[in-house]
Formats: sequence, structure tokens, C-alpha cells
Amino acid sequence: MPGELPPAGATWAERRRRALADPAMRAAVAKSTRNLAAKKEAAFAAYPAGEAMRTRAVIARRGSLARVDALLDELTRQIEARGGHVSRAAGPADVGRYVLDVARRRGVERVVKSKSMATEEIALNEQLEAAGLHVRETDLGEYIIQLAGERPAHILVPASHKTREQVRALFDEEAARCAVDPPTGDATPELTAFARRQLREDFLAADMGISGGNFLVAETGTLVLITNEGNGRMTTSLPPVHIAVVGIDKIVATWIDLADLLQQPALSGTGQRLSTYTTFITGPRREGELDGPEEFHLVLLDNGRHELLGTEFEDVLTCIRCGACLNVCPVFRTIGGQAYGSMYSGPIGVVLTPLLGGLDRAPELPKSACSLCYACGDACPMEIELPRHILALRRTEVERSMEPWTDRLTFELWGRFWANPAGFRLTGRMARLGQRAYVRDGRLKGAPGLVGGWTATRDAPPLARESFHEWWSRRRTSRAGS
Amino acid sequence: MVVAAAHLEGGFVTDHASAEPLRGANSGDALVAEFVESWRGLEGDAWIVRGGRDEVRRTIGEAVRTMTGDGGPATRRRVLAWATADLASLELPGLLAEQGCEYVPWPSGSSGGADAAGAEAAAPTAAELLTLAAASDLGITTCAWAVAETGTIALYATPATGRLPSLLPTAHLALVRPSQIVETIADGLRLLADHMAQQGGPPSAVNLVSGPSRSADIEGDLAVGVHGPRRAGVIIGDW
Repeated sequence: MPGELPPAGATWAERRRRALADPAMRAAVAKSTRNLAAKKEAAFAAYPAGEAMRTRAVIARRGSLARVDALLDELTRQIEARGGHVSRAAGPADVGRYVLDVARRRGVERVVKSKSMATEEIALNEQLEAAGLHVRETDLGEYIIQLAGERPAHILVPASHKTREQVRALFDEEAARCAVDPPTGDATPELTAFARRQLREDFLAADMGISGGNFLVAETGTLVLITNEGNGRMTTSLPPVHIAVVGIDKIVATWIDLADLLQQPALSGTGQRLSTYTTFITGPRREGELDGPEEFHLVLLDNGRHELLGTEFEDVLTCIRCGACLNVCPVFRTIGGQAYGSMYSGPIGVVLTPLLGGLDRAPELPKSACSLCYACGDACPMEIELPRHILALRRTEVERSMEPWTDRLTFELWGRFWANPAGFRLTGRMARLGQRAYVRDGRLKGAPGLVGGWTATRDAPPLARESFHEWWSRRRTSRAGS
Repeated sequence: MVVAAAHLEGGFVTDHASAEPLRGANSGDALVAEFVESWRGLEGDAWIVRGGRDEVRRTIGEAVRTMTGDGGPATRRRVLAWATADLASLELPGLLAEQGCEYVPWPSGSSGGADAAGAEAAAPTAAELLTLAAASDLGITTCAWAVAETGTIALYATPATGRLPSLLPTAHLALVRPSQIVETIADGLRLLADHMAQQGGPPSAVNLVSGPSRSADIEGDLAVGVHGPRRAGVIIGDW
């Protein structure tokens, strides 16, 4: 069964246009991505052990995926033996139904959430809000995005496209809505203090906490949650019910596997050696404990993942959501995350969005949102072959969508013509003659027919007076003559 | 170090790992120094105590003043501390009274020692503890182990060692014995594996804490103290 992702909203053309028309956003994204990419480089350079762990972690992730079903069974046994509950969800509706069942039984009104890509993927907030629950995102970036009514623009730093002035405006509005004091200024500590105060209230009043999960350890039934702010700890410690929604791909077999993985999201994501808070949760609170949730539920989300096992795309399931591929991508740096129309943006989004949601959900991503520079392939700590996958998806999409038959015929003939050196040279000579009408100020600023599509939005250097081949032949001839 | 071959099969039960020494060439003072450097690098406060119990007590007083602000006579600071046997010999009730602080032991929730002496309070409910913890200025805990190269302390949740004192108060202070410091996360996880082998599994929650709460969500600018403690301190010493 393929998965189901929320719709993209606007068309690709509209999203692209909006992004390119927003210089403040583009500057913010360019700054934050370059900053994060540099921090990653520096972190690994100063910490050779991190690289050794990384290579072992790749093996651990792939090895665990190879027997994912057996590991999920073991994980389930372990959690149930400790009084927790485990549910398997094929897609968004299953998760929504399960969470709402628990919420109804427990009389839940207020939900706090820590940052989770899995719940973004299934639009869980919308499902819960439609049922009348109050849902609060508690990661600072997610809180900003929730107030703005937007989707996260970056896997790791969801509000990195917002300026502090925009954040302050959102907080001012929220303060007015809640009839509380607004932030005292737009310095980071002032904005943070406002969020801390507001979100504290939400934490203390919450009836249910919903988290994602970075990893699952099968042998003990342990959920691993990594955060920097502490909202993950709050979400899983304070409310009486904790539900974790985690993709089945997050499983590893043993704690030995985990030891090598644990520092990787931080090293590749923010350049830290370890995130500030790493939490291992194994079932609900135990006999005699006065804090921690009374109920622990794990919802294992499939949503198209199982179908990727055993295919050429299997390695995308080893993704640790560090965002390293986004931070080096020239397309992401130019258009930002919102333009992708998916919670998964950047190179991993170009691959994951069509793989989970079907190629019809996002045909434009592999087709247009990649320059094939291969930077993402080098950046990925899990060695996912992102460029190869993008090419494969692009090929599928192009072959599928190349209509009408005249397109096919044109490209077929063009291919044959250029496979022959004489044909290629003839094209060059004709183009040099033909370009004369379009060269202005030393640039090629227009072209007829197919080529016009290229020059409509960009100019290009004109073809040289003489091709390399012609120059070479002339040179050789004149030498032979001298 | 964990060897690559160990990936192929087996976990903490089959691969019981503590047979190897935890510390290589790097030991004792060097580990303490590395831990403190890492912790301070994360914006955490750190004190190294060479003397014994009395010196540790004196340093706790200093840490309380530094981390909660002197406050002046008008504000009475509340300190929530794990009431474990390990901490009993430090006689925190008296020490905190001298500092002008209210002492609240976890998990009983009732003020002990000099404050509200003789009050026979019933065991507090979970909701009461939550409110109490959120209204505390400082939480004092020990730790299970600490990691030098990442500046990390590990906290196991048990009935006596709850999650809230290190989470909800405005600041968190952990007492770390030098012998608890290991070099790497893998070394620490091996100690957790020992614990799991003895107890038949992990605690309900283990928290690895590396410095105070932080975020870079606003323009990539570092903010300390978003949700968790704004200040995180460690005192390294024996008592």
C-alpha cells in the first residue's frame, strides 16, 4: 500500500513564484543553511570518533531494516511486557482514530506536542483539531510556525525562514489573543522568554503529550527522543498520557547499534556532539513513581514505508532527519522549504515525498527541484544515494508524462541526430548562424522554438565563433603545413 | 570502544560488555578536566571540589547563590532535591536553611529540616508535585554516570529519583563523583547495559542531559533556557 501525504496546497508554479518573490525569506534560508552546513563540517573535523561511529551507524541502520518485521515484533513484545500499548497504523486515518479513541477514553481536551515529522506527514494536528481538541506545538520553531498557520520549512529548524521581526509580530498577536503581556522586545532572550512562559502554561495544563521518536530499540522496547529545548522531556514527562507516533523505519536492533547512532543527528544536524536532551523511554511510569505518564502508547506508522523495503529506494528509510542534505542544496537555498509543498523538503523531500505519497502527489519535485549537483549525496551521513534516486524518479516521471507522441518522436529523432558526429556539428553551425538575431550586449537573450523555453527566464553566453573541434582541426592543418 | 563486529548480533544480554575496562589511558583528573571543559562549552556551570564532604557542602551553598541569584530577603528561593541515601550525608535541609532557601525533598513533597518542622502532610498527589516543581528555583540531583567528551550526565528515573527535579525548576544542579565520569557515550551506555542486565531492563526513563536547555530557532541565534532549566550546574567531588 502506498502512503498518503497532505496535499501540496498551491501549484508548483505558484509556490515557486511566491518563494522567488520573497527576498527576506531567501536571505534567512541562505544564512541558516550555510551556517548549519559549516557547523557540521567543523563538528566532524574536530571529532574523528564521530566519523568512525557514522560508518558503523550506516551498517546498523541497514542491518536493522533487513529484518524490520522481526524487530517490530520484538519491540512490541517488550513494550507490552512493561505495560505499554503498541498499535500499527497503515496511514493517517489509523493514527487519528487511535489517538482520538485514547483521548475520548481519558477525557482529553488539551494536547501538547513535541516536534515530529511523522505527525506532520499525517496532518495529525488537523485531525485532532477537527475533533475539537486543543493542540499546541511546543518546539520553539514549530510554535512559531503553528502561530503563523504554516508548515515547517526545514526538517530541523522549522522557522528558519522567519525573521525576528516576523516572530515578534506573531507573538504580539498571540499575546493579544490570550490577553497576556507581549514580548518586551525582539531580542532572542525576550522572544524566548515569552514562548517559555506561554508554553509552560500549556505543558502544565495538558492531558496528553504526543511525541515522535528518533529511534526505537527493539531489544528492550525503548523509544529514543532527542531534543535541544527540553520540550521532548516535558511532553513525555508531564501529561498523564503519552502517545508516540513513530515511523517503522526508526527501529534498530540493539543498544550497541544505538550507541553509534545516538550522536549522528546532532553531529550532522547542528554540529553538536550530542543534543542537549536525549531521552530513553521504556513503557509508562512504574510502580511507586510519582512522575511520568500513567499510560504509554506507541503508534507504529507505515504510510508507504513497507513498500519501499527490498526496492532500489530502500536506503531512504535509513534517513535520520538531520537536514544535512537541505543545508547543502542550491535549490533549497534558493527557494526555501515551503516551495516544496511537502513537510519533507530539500533533496530528501524530493525523494521521500513521491516515494511515500506517490509520484502523482509531487511529479514536479524530481523533475524540477534538483540541479543534479550531487552535493546531497556527499552530505548525507547515512550515505543515502539521493542523486541516484532523484534521477531514477525523474526518468520514471519523464517517461510517464512525455505526451503527446510528437514529444517522444522529437526527442527520439534528436537523440539519433546527435549520436552522429556529423549531425552534432551541423547543429552547431546552424545554431551559430541562427543566434545572430538574438545576441544583444554579448549575451544570448532569446531563441526560437524549444530553446526559447530556456532563454525565456535566463540569458546565456552565445555560441563561440568557432567550435573546439574546428579550432583543433585548423590548428593541426596549419602545423602540418608549416 | 564498541567494536564493529558487535553490530551483527546480540544486545545487552548476550553481549554483556563491561568485561573491558571503561577507561583507556585517560583517567582520573584528565577525565574530570575534559568533562568540565565540555560542560562549560555548553554554557553550563561547573565546580570541582578536591576536599571532602564539608567542601562539597560549602560549594553547594555557593552554587545555590550563583544559580538562583541572591534574590535578596524579599524572595525566598525554593529548592527541590532528591532525598536519596546518597545525598543524606550532605544534610541539605540545614545547608539550604543557612542559604535562606526553602528545602523540598523529592518525592515526599513536604518541607523537611528547619522549615515547617513537624508538619504531618499526607503524601502529595502527582498534580501537587508538578506545581511544586514548576514553582521551584533549583533542583538538586545526583547522576548515574557522566560522559567527558560530550559533557553529559545521565539520570535514571526511579521512585526516589524522579524526572521533575531536573526538568521543571529554573535551574538544575547535579552532584557528580569523579569516579562516575567515563570517556564516551558508548562507555556510559555500557554502564546502562550493566544496570539493565541486573534489573531485567531499562528504567522507565533515562535522561542524558548535556548542559542547559537551548534553541537556535530564531534566526539561528542561540537561546539558552527555552523549556528546561535555564542554568545547569555540576559539582564534581566526593562526599
